[in-house]
This record gives sequence, C-alpha cells and structure tokens, in this order.
Amino acid sequence: MRSVTLASVRAHAGRLVASCLAIVLAVAFVVATLVLNETTRSTVLTAAGAQYVGADAVVGTDDGSSLLDAVPTVSAVDGVAAVAPEWQTSVQAVLPGRTGAEFLLVGTAADDAALRWQRLADGALPDRAGEVAVSDRVTAEVGDVLQVVGVAPDGTGSTAEVTVTGVVDLGGDPEAGLYGRAWATPEQAQAWGAADPTELRIAGAPGTDPELLAAAVRDALPDEGITVRTGTEQAEVRAASMLGNATALAAVLLVFGTVAVVVAGLVIANTFAVLLAQRTRELALLRCVGATARQVRRSVLGEAALTGLAASLLGVGAGIGLAAVVSRLAEGVDSPVPLSGLSVPWPAVAAGLAVGVLTTLLAALAPARGATRVAPLAALRPTDPAPLHSRPGVLRLVLGLLLLLPGAALLVLGVLLPHVLVALPGGVLSFLGVVLLAQRAVPPVVRAAGGLVTRAGGVPARLAAGNATRNPGRTAATATALLIGVTLTTAMVVGTASTRASASAGLAAAYPADVVVEGLSGQLPGTLLPQLEGVDGVAGGTALRSAEVTGPDGQAWTASGVDAATAVPVLRSTVDTPLPDSGEVVVPEWQAEAWAVTDGDVVSLDGPAGSAPLRVQVAEESPLLLTGADLARLDPAAPVGQLWLRLADAEAGAQDAVVDAVTDTVGTAVGDAQVTGVVSLRRQMNEVLDVLLLVVTGLLGVAVVIALIGVGNTLALSVVERRQENGLLRAMGLTRRQLRGLLAWESVLVAGVAAVLGVVLGGVYGMAGTASVLGMAGEVVLAVPWLQVAAIVVVATVAGLLASVLPARCAVRTPPVAALAG
Amino acid sequence: MSAPVPVLTVPGEPPSSAAAVRAAGLTKTHGSGETAVHALAGVDVAFARGAFTAIMGPSGSGKSTLMHCLAGLDSATAGSVWLGDTELTSLRDDALTRLRRERIGFVFQSFNLLPVLDARENIVLPLQLAGRRPDPAWFDAVVARLGLRERLRHRPAELSGGQQQRVAVARALLPRPDVVFADEPTGNLDSRTGAEVLDLLRSSVRETGQTVVMVTHDPIAAAYADRVVLLADGRLAGEIDAPTADSVVSALRGLGA
Repeated sequence: MRSVTLASVRAHAGRLVASCLAIVLAVAFVVATLVLNETTRSTVLTAAGAQYVGADAVVGTDDGSSLLDAVPTVSAVDGVAAVAPEWQTSVQAVLPGRTGAEFLLVGTAADDAALRWQRLADGALPDRAGEVAVSDRVTAEVGDVLQVVGVAPDGTGSTAEVTVTGVVDLGGDPEAGLYGRAWATPEQAQAWGAADPTELRIAGAPGTDPELLAAAVRDALPDEGITVRTGTEQAEVRAASMLGNATALAAVLLVFGTVAVVVAGLVIANTFAVLLAQRTRELALLRCVGATARQVRRSVLGEAALTGLAASLLGVGAGIGLAAVVSRLAEGVDSPVPLSGLSVPWPAVAAGLAVGVLTTLLAALAPARGATRVAPLAALRPTDPAPLHSRPGVLRLVLGLLLLLPGAALLVLGVLLPHVLVALPGGVLSFLGVVLLAQRAVPPVVRAAGGLVTRAGGVPARLAAGNATRNPGRTAATATALLIGVTLTTAMVVGTASTRASASAGLAAAYPADVVVEGLSGQLPGTLLPQLEGVDGVAGGTALRSAEVTGPDGQAWTASGVDAATAVPVLRSTVDTPLPDSGEVVVPEWQAEAWAVTDGDVVSLDGPAGSAPLRVQVAEESPLLLTGADLARLDPAAPVGQLWLRLADAEAGAQDAVVDAVTDTVGTAVGDAQVTGVVSLRRQMNEVLDVLLLVVTGLLGVAVVIALIGVGNTLALSVVERRQENGLLRAMGLTRRQLRGLLAWESVLVAGVAAVLGVVLGGVYGMAGTASVLGMAGEVVLAVPWLQVAAIVVVATVAGLLASVLPARCAVRTPPVAALAG
Repeated sequence: MSAPVPVLTVPGEPPSSAAAVRAAGLTKTHGSGETAVHALAGVDVAFARGAFTAIMGPSGSGKSTLMHCLAGLDSATAGSVWLGDTELTSLRDDALTRLRRERIGFVFQSFNLLPVLDARENIVLPLQLAGRRPDPAWFDAVVARLGLRERLRHRPAELSGGQQQRVAVARALLPRPDVVFADEPTGNLDSRTGAEVLDLLRSSVRETGQTVVMVTHDPIAAAYADRVVLLADGRLAGEIDAPTADSVVSALRGLGA
C-alpha cells in the first residue's frame, strides 16, 4: 500500500497544491503571529526598558533610600562582574544658537562597558567630566558645546561648558519625546547634584545565569525595602508602566494566539475533508481490487501526514519570512514600535509544525473513516449524478449546542465580571459551537439568499442557487471557513476601534494637558502665560497658583488653585483630573487615606491668610486642587506655580517644534523651569497601539485569504465533479459567459452569506472581547467602525467572486462533448 | 491540436435545401504524424428534412464523432458542416452555442437532466438560456404527447429511467429545433421503455415533421428510422432505406462487426 500512497500523492499533486497552499498559509499565519508577538514584545522591552535588558540583575529600593552602601556588598557577591549605580539629576542647558535653557534629565554612563546600554546614533559616551551624551530629542550634535547650569548638593549653582560627545537613539521609548536626556560620568552627575543612587544595575561574569545572580544578590542584601529583579524582569516592569496595563496587552496577545491556532486548524480540516470527499470512487476501486479497509485508512492517513509535514515545513519558512518582511517594513516606515531584528522563539516553530501536521491528520481522520465505509461497488457505478446527501448529524447538533450555550454564558459572565480569563474560554467554546452548528444553519440561509438572487440574475443565478445547496455539507464547510476568517477580522476591527477609543480616552484622562510648565523654585512670573499664549501653535493655557497650606494632619502641603472656566478648554479630559467647584478640594487617593477622609467629608485647610472648610472630592491621581478663589482666601499672595497649555492639533513634528518654542520662551523668562511635552508621550503611546493593532488585523486578513482559497478549492472540486453536467449545459446552449456567471453566482452566494453572518458574529465577539479585556483596566468605550465593517463584507464577497475565476476558466474549457462522454 | 493538416478545398456544391444537416469532406484527426488516428476520414453525408435517420457502425467506426461534429459540439479537423444554410465550422464558440440552443435539440444515453431542477424546469431550460418563453400551447402539446403532465414538479431523482428520458425528449422538442440529435437514447433503458421512447421520436417525425438523427448500435432501434447510414473506419460504408432489424444486422455483418 505504501506504493499506492506515494503514487497517489504524485498523481494528485495538482489537487494537493490547493490544500497544501491552505496548510502553508495557515501554518505561516500561526508562526508569523507568534514570531511577531515575540519580536514586538522584545522590541517594546528593549525600547522601554533599554537600560535594563542588558543588565543581568537590577537592585532598586521601594522608598527611594540610598543604595550607595549596598555597592560594596553587591560587588562582593560571587559572579558579579560590575555594578553601576544610577546617579540621576537634572540641569538646565542652553544649546548653541538657542536663547532659552532646556531641562535635561541627567543619567549615568556606566564605567563598565557591559552596563553601557545607550545605543549611539553618533559619537561616543562620555569618559570624563565636562562631557555628555544627549538624546536626539535635544537636537544637539557631536562637538556642540552646551552651557549647563547645575546645582551642587550644597545648593550652589554653577555654570559650565560641556562638550557633546555622542547622540543616543532611544528608539521606541515612549518617554523619549517628553524632555531631553543627557548621560554623564558618575562624577559629573554628582557634581551636578545627583542624589544618592536608588538603583544599581549589575553585570554578571560571562556565562552567569541572571536568575541565579539575582537570587544571590537578593540573599546578600537586607530584606527590607529592597527589590532585586533580573534585567529582563525589570524591563518588563518598566514596559508595563509605560504601556499601561501589561496584563491587558498580554491578554490580547493570548486571545490572538489561541484564535490563530483554532482558525488554522479548522481551515486545514475543511480543505482536506473536501479533498477526500472527491476521491470516493478511487478509494472504492482500491477496495474493489482487494485492499482491506485498514489499508485504505492507512493509505489516506499516510498521505495526510506526508502532505501535512511537507506543507508545514514550507509554512514555517514562509511564516518567518513573512514576519521578517513585516518587521523590515515597520523599520522602513520608522514605526513607533521598532520591530527591529527578528526573534524566532522555538515554540513558534514547534507550534507551527504541530498545528500543520496534527490538524491535517485529525482532519483526515473522519474522511478516512468514511473512506473505509465506501462500498467496493461504488467504483463500478457510473458517475453518480445525484447529490451527495450529508446526514443531518444529530451528534453534531447536540455537541454544537453543548459548546455554544455554556460558552455563550461564560462569555457573558466574562463581560459582566469583567475578566478576560473567563471570557476567553467562553468565546472559544461558543465559537466552536457556532462552527459546528453552521453545518445546519448555513444551507437554509444560502437557500434563502439564493431565492433573492434568482430574481436578479436569471437562469445562471437560479442554477447557481440550486447548486450551492445541493451538497449542504460541503457548502456549509466552505462557508464556515470564510465565516471564521470574517468573524475574526470583524472582531478584530471592532475590537481595535473600541480599544483605540477606550485607550484614547484613557490616555487623555491620564495626561490631560499637552504641555506642563513648572517652576522648580515654586513660582513663575505672572506674565509668562500671556507670553506663551502668544507662541504660534499654542491654543490656550491656564495658570495654577500654588500655596503652602496646612492639612488636618498638621503638615504643610502644596495646594494648587485652578479656575474651571479657563482650565476646561485646555484639558483633553477631566475624567482622572476632576476640577473642584467652589468650596471643594480635590484630594488624591493616597492623601485622602493619610488624612482618613472620603468623598463628601469636610476638611479644614489653613493658609497664611486664614482657614477654610472644604468638601473633599477624592481623585485617583491629582494634585491637591482648590478653586482659584478658595486658594486666594487662604493665601492672597499665592504665586503662579504651574501652567497648563493646550497645543493646536497638528502633525507630530509641528507639535514638537511648538514644545521647543515654548521651552525657549520659558527659558528666556525664567532660569529654573521645567517644560514637559506630555503631548508627545500621549501621541507615541497612541501610535504604539495603532501599529500593534494594525499588525494583528493584517495577520487576520491572512485568515480570510486562506478561507477564500477554500472557496476556490471547493468550487474547483465542484467543477471537476460536474464536468458532465457543465458539458450538458454547454450543449444545451449555455454560453461560456453564462457558465462563468453561474459559477460566479454560486461563489458569491456562499461568500456573501458567510461574510454577512461573519460580520454579525464578529461584531458581537469583538465587543465582548474588548469589554472583557479592557473592562479589567478601566473605562470601556465601545465603537463599531461601520465603514470598515461594510468594507469587509464587500471585500469578502468580491474576493469570493475572484475565487471563482480560476475554476470558471477550467470549466469553460470543458468541451460540450464531455456531456456525452459519460 | 494544431497539427499540420493539408487544407482541403470544400466541395463547392451549394447546400441543398432538402437537407436539414449536411457534411462535406468531414475529417477528424486525433494526434499527428505517426500516431495520428483518423476518427473521420472525409465523410460526405446529408440528412433529409423531416426524416428519421439512424447512424450505425461498429465500435470505433466514428459514428459518435460524426454526430458531435454535426451538432457543433466538436470541431472538425477539415471539411464543413451545414445546418440548413449555416456553415458551422466557421462559427466561433458563442455563435455556435447560440445556434445549439436555438436550432438543435439533444437526447443523451444517460438522460443528462440537471439534478437541481424539476422536470418542467429541465424541459424549458434551453429556451430560458436563450431568454425566450415557451409557447404554452406547444408546451402543453409536447408534455401531453410524452405523458409527463403529472410529473412536471418532480426532480430527476424522483423519476424512473423511462420518465427521465421522456423529459429529455420533451426538452429536445420544445424549442422546435431544426434537428434533434439522439445519442444511444435507449442505451440505458429496458427494451419496453426503449421502444416507447423510439415510438415518440418517430411520431414526432411523422406528425410534426421534426428532423431526427440518432446514433445507435442496436439494430432494433435502427429499424424505427426511415433510413440507416452505415459507418466504418471513419468512412461512409453504405445506406439502407426503410430498414428492418434483419436488413440492418446483415448489413452490419457485412462490415465485419
């Protein structure tokens, strides 16, 4: 029988190409997804946690206390090669040719080469005092001389000229655009007033296991208030704090990975089932000449394994290639998620191979069993013109309902809780149920739709409507494949829109002002705001006065006074930054706890000019906020401490230029003010989200392509099967055009029904998924992008039409004589 | 396909108005060079209007190929075919297709009804493909003659072989084609039902002047025809007017069949 199996593979190579293509695409899809996931993850890590990924271990403190004393202890730990304490400070720097000073956050360029994480775009890192490397946000070039004003630990200010030795590329770090960064030697950083380090980065000796090293360091240090992580862990923590809710991101990727495997499996199963159904006669012939049922089964499964393995290998290669292309493209367009390099995790390769081979085998099991039941006599009958009736399948119905109902219940529960780990299995179960039930549901819908097109399309449409439902099982299988692809794509599109809407709202809430100007000494000249409002590109601003007040705990706190009338137009959102009404004070959560007050309580705040009882409004994160009038009652002389600015909506580069102009103006007016361009942070995080979702949606597009190959495949098999019938129609006077039309109608019917059903299902799953994932993190805004959803229906239907082109070419070549040959 | 074949000059004889279908110098060659097989090797034949003609011959004599070429289903390598005044061999596919649905009817050995359509829909299919409506009186007459009135709503799978072939005959007769080609119409039927179908074909010739050309290898079926054309090795091998089963059998024996 082995020779028969091999001969069969050789003889049917043409037919196998179609199913191989589906396997290759499906496996490539899984592998590319996993590889891109991994690549995205690792690039987000290297971008957001660049200073940590190179380190083997990182020591931090929970309360900001000094770690300087720990340095000798850590250095003595076995396996530690170098320790770099992070000295941080800030300076004001004037660039050549600029008037205003710019705020620079100064970090440390480690002494040890292994801990120098900065990726240089140009030049080198500083080796001595008087040199700095700067981030590209600073827009200085190597060799530039900066006028730097630093404040030494003893409080004396000093001005020095320092030379720029290098420019550091911060890549996709979301905070890269916030303000300028500079790196100096530890000595220089200390001369500029760096406080004792609260973070140590550690390099291990070559070959050291980071986990073990971190554990050893952990053991050597006192327990209280010290955290030791491996570099990767620390990078993940920082990436998480940057990208917001890291578990939500991981959950989205988890959902997506599961989905990818399920689709791939179903599509392969479907293609193979159709392929084997086509060969009933041939298998019967084998039985006729004496093959046992066992031998037939083994032959079929052997063929499946061979096909599956070969196609899976191709698919793994194609998947890695696809991921490489996407990552190269992303690099080319300077994407905010630099998918730089390519991380190929071996589980991705294994998963791809396993999915390909196992699903092909599983898919072949049922048809192989069916093949053994083929009566040898079937080979002797003339071509069977009667439609192959599929049995109603009570088992399928029961199983489908058993999966659908509890699955849907779980999904609803997951949305209500909301918890993604409840919703995810619910979604998978219910969708599998839908797939099983589609077998029953799709043919009647196609028949009904057929009734509609019959009126529009004449005889070919009527014939097509009949043909589309003459083998309900196969129609259902074909439609289901497309249904899956369309459902997932729609779910993703709806999910994307909802995630974008939710995330935009969330980002605006977290960062309500575009630019924040703060006086480091606590006060800004009152004339600064009108000056800044005059800067081109600044849409408006509001000044917050600040005063020292005494709280119920007897301690002094800085309170800010804000005027809702001027602040509301400036802020992008007031969800997380509620503005106080007259007689109210907004208290951040942590302070409310310290004062033991809750919403509605009345606290008394004392200022130099008197005291006032104020109603408490607790906010998650906020400064201590009063209305301007209330603050004036406490301290009429309160100076302006902070300015909030809103920029006109414009391109990214233009907004950066405005932030620079604001920095210049502020620098000219005040020596010590910090300008923070929050707008760029918000924008970068939006872009990160956009690219991630784009990649994911693009990959699901591949699922639709696979499904359409399925449609084309089924149609091609029907054409082979109905060779005689098509010949008859041609003999009867069906023109080639009409025959093409017939097949096109058939394809459009199946594709259209699948697309419409898929869009409806996908909308539901998309919203449920978003609600359950994002509901964990906060407010959910559901959005349905109608235009895109309509586009999916149109594209899937038109693509269905295209899928009929090749089979139709084959069909019209059939000479009418074929009808008489049988 | 495009084997270098010497271009034959078509005999300049004008098409006879008495003939419904006529072939001149009809040649059909499969393959080329050493391996060339001549299915038809220059056949000149004419089928009279309003007559029932049978084409007979041993297996491989080219009788099916001749019919396919006459009906515009297959292209000839050389020679020409006229349907009335229309030269078929020069027509392109679309024109040929239209000609088939408007002027030619078919009855096949294996009935060849469309399984997704019921009997009525099958019968009117060629007219519908041409975008025409059946003449109700004629439709009723054909259906009544073939005894299908009670069966019009049945699908082919719900009909017996004889009933299916009667539906096929109705389908062929309804457009009032210039000629009906029947390819072994009784091959899949028992002798009694076969005789019924042959009777129907003959009566359509007698009563409505329908031209019928039938390919068969059954001498009894051939005896229903007005004339038998004998074919052997791709050439015309004789004719029998007013054939009987016996005269056909002896003629065939003479061909070595």
